[in-house]
Amino acid sequence: MQENTLLRVKGLYTSFASDGRKDRATAVNGVDLTIPRRKTVGLVGESGCGKSVTALSIMGLLADNGRVDAGKALFNGEDLLALSDREMRKIRGNRISMIFQEPMTSLNPVLTVGRQISEALRLHSDISSREAKQKCIEILDKVGIPEPEKRFVCYPHQLSGGLRQRVMIGMAMVLKPDLLIADEPTTALDVSIEAQILRLMRGLQEEEGTSILMITHNLGVVAEICDEVYVMYAGEVVERADVFTLFRECAHPYTRGLMASLPRMRAKGEKLYNIRGTVPNLRAMPAGCRFSPRCDFACEKCRREKPPLEDLGNGHLCRCFFPEKGGDTL
Amino acid sequence: MGKFIIKRVLVTIPVLLGMIFLIFFMLNVVPGDPLTVMMKEHLNEDVLENLRANMHLDDPFLVRYVRYVWDALHGDLGMSWKLNRSVTNLIATAFPYTLKLAIAAALFSWVMGIPIGIVSAVKKNSLIDHLSMGLSLFGVSMPVFWIALILQETFKNILPISGLSTWQSYILPTIVLGWSSAGRIARLTRSNLLEVMRNDYIRTARSKGLSPLRVITGHALKNALIPVITVMAIQIASLLSGAVITETIFSIPGVGRLAVDAINKRDMPLLQGTVIFTAVLIIAGNLLADVLYSVVDPRIRVE
Repeated sequence: MQENTLLRVKGLYTSFASDGRKDRATAVNGVDLTIPRRKTVGLVGESGCGKSVTALSIMGLLADNGRVDAGKALFNGEDLLALSDREMRKIRGNRISMIFQEPMTSLNPVLTVGRQISEALRLHSDISSREAKQKCIEILDKVGIPEPEKRFVCYPHQLSGGLRQRVMIGMAMVLKPDLLIADEPTTALDVSIEAQILRLMRGLQEEEGTSILMITHNLGVVAEICDEVYVMYAGEVVERADVFTLFRECAHPYTRGLMASLPRMRAKGEKLYNIRGTVPNLRAMPAGCRFSPRCDFACEKCRREKPPLEDLGNGHLCRCFFPEKGGDTL
Repeated sequence: MGKFIIKRVLVTIPVLLGMIFLIFFMLNVVPGDPLTVMMKEHLNEDVLENLRANMHLDDPFLVRYVRYVWDALHGDLGMSWKLNRSVTNLIATAFPYTLKLAIAAALFSWVMGIPIGIVSAVKKNSLIDHLSMGLSLFGVSMPVFWIALILQETFKNILPISGLSTWQSYILPTIVLGWSSAGRIARLTRSNLLEVMRNDYIRTARSKGLSPLRVITGHALKNALIPVITVMAIQIASLLSGAVITETIFSIPGVGRLAVDAINKRDMPLLQGTVIFTAVLIIAGNLLADVLYSVVDPRIRVE
């Protein structure tokens, strides 16, 4: 088990300060996460549930007002959160790389694509600019960019959104990292491009043996690419299962709500289910179970006590007093 | 790229013609007969009539305008009424002083403004930030003549306070002329850099493992300086033409002082020549700014 684990996050707490307030808002509240080697782990949840903050905490890329309050992130046995800035920079972009949601704004508009890819290469490995260029063209070709020699000298605005995301992936994969963190990489793209990008990521993963942490709110993406899934709600993991278990028998009412909110072919004319209410304010979390105010099954106990993350068997974890197997009962 | 520049240059032609027309028109409606200015009261009517015809002052306004533009195209801006020398020649003699001072002030404002702006942005809200932004604001908001007088008074025993004979004599006028530019550039650099640092591609750069310094120098600065560069180009033009007060206070025989003298002596051709000359400089500065913009920002190049 240990040998197969690439990254283990333990008890991660991350909070943010905001102007004119003394109390900090805790965006990630004790998250545990394990990413096995060569696997794709999904991190799913609504906007603002702490998915991205979890990833940025691991990368050490939180905004100035953010801070990791507690926790460990053991990467190949080394705690990333205890590293100095300088040590972390050697890992960032090299052993762990990241791609972001907005390919339109995530590339520097005044630098050529080639320059932006070779930059990481030359930073982390000792190669000449000619070799770097060669490698860049290879990776551009690999991520499916036509005429890579020509694209090498292009500026980002000369490429389409799909091509730019391919460039981002190429940039992240050029050093063959152990872990690729993908923060909603296909959200800004249209559906046909999304499928291509996911296929590309899958292919690269098989080739290079990279682990992927896929952050998404899209269960379709999860079904497409993930091996294991963590469902987050209000800064906490509420359910964890392998992808088959999750889709067949998710147990947490929140996950079931998410599943029921997916449009279905068969249910013609039926109103689409939605989870009532909204995500609670970070500074005003409900006591007890954080999902209880929106849960159809909540009782007195749920509002009083916080349910632990319990194992339902086979590593299927669920944070609910009344887990109910069999996803489609809603 | 070449096409863009040619197009941009062609656009300036009507601007130039319109500008000369306006200046010509304005100075034309200013009351006062040039001949009485030139000759005082010593003339009789016959001589005046004669001179008027000789100098084509009786011609219609538009005819004189066209003639003036035509002559100007050939480098002839007319004769000064008071100094009895060609205006072109007077400007050519005065311009090197103005140019040297403007270059010194521009260099001063870049060398001071850009690094101060960067440091202030990096050390946002620190003492050094507040201090340098305060100094910048001071430079931008204090009147030039006041700063000039205070500096002259303070340093009169150490530094020369008039002329441009030695390198020391450049120090005070350069500071006076360049301070507000430096302040403006520092503030602009700071605010642009802070804004650029919030962009997604900065996070991407950080995610590659670049050090904070390299994120700034390699990724943020080029984006942040695009507007600064255009401001710098326009600023050179305004430094070249805006030295009127500085040149007067420090007795520097540049174009600005020539214009002031022309006003005082009602020397219309000279005034007209200096005003048109500085306007051409400003148009050229704007042209330069546009061209530079397209050089530094690849998004402008491809239309």
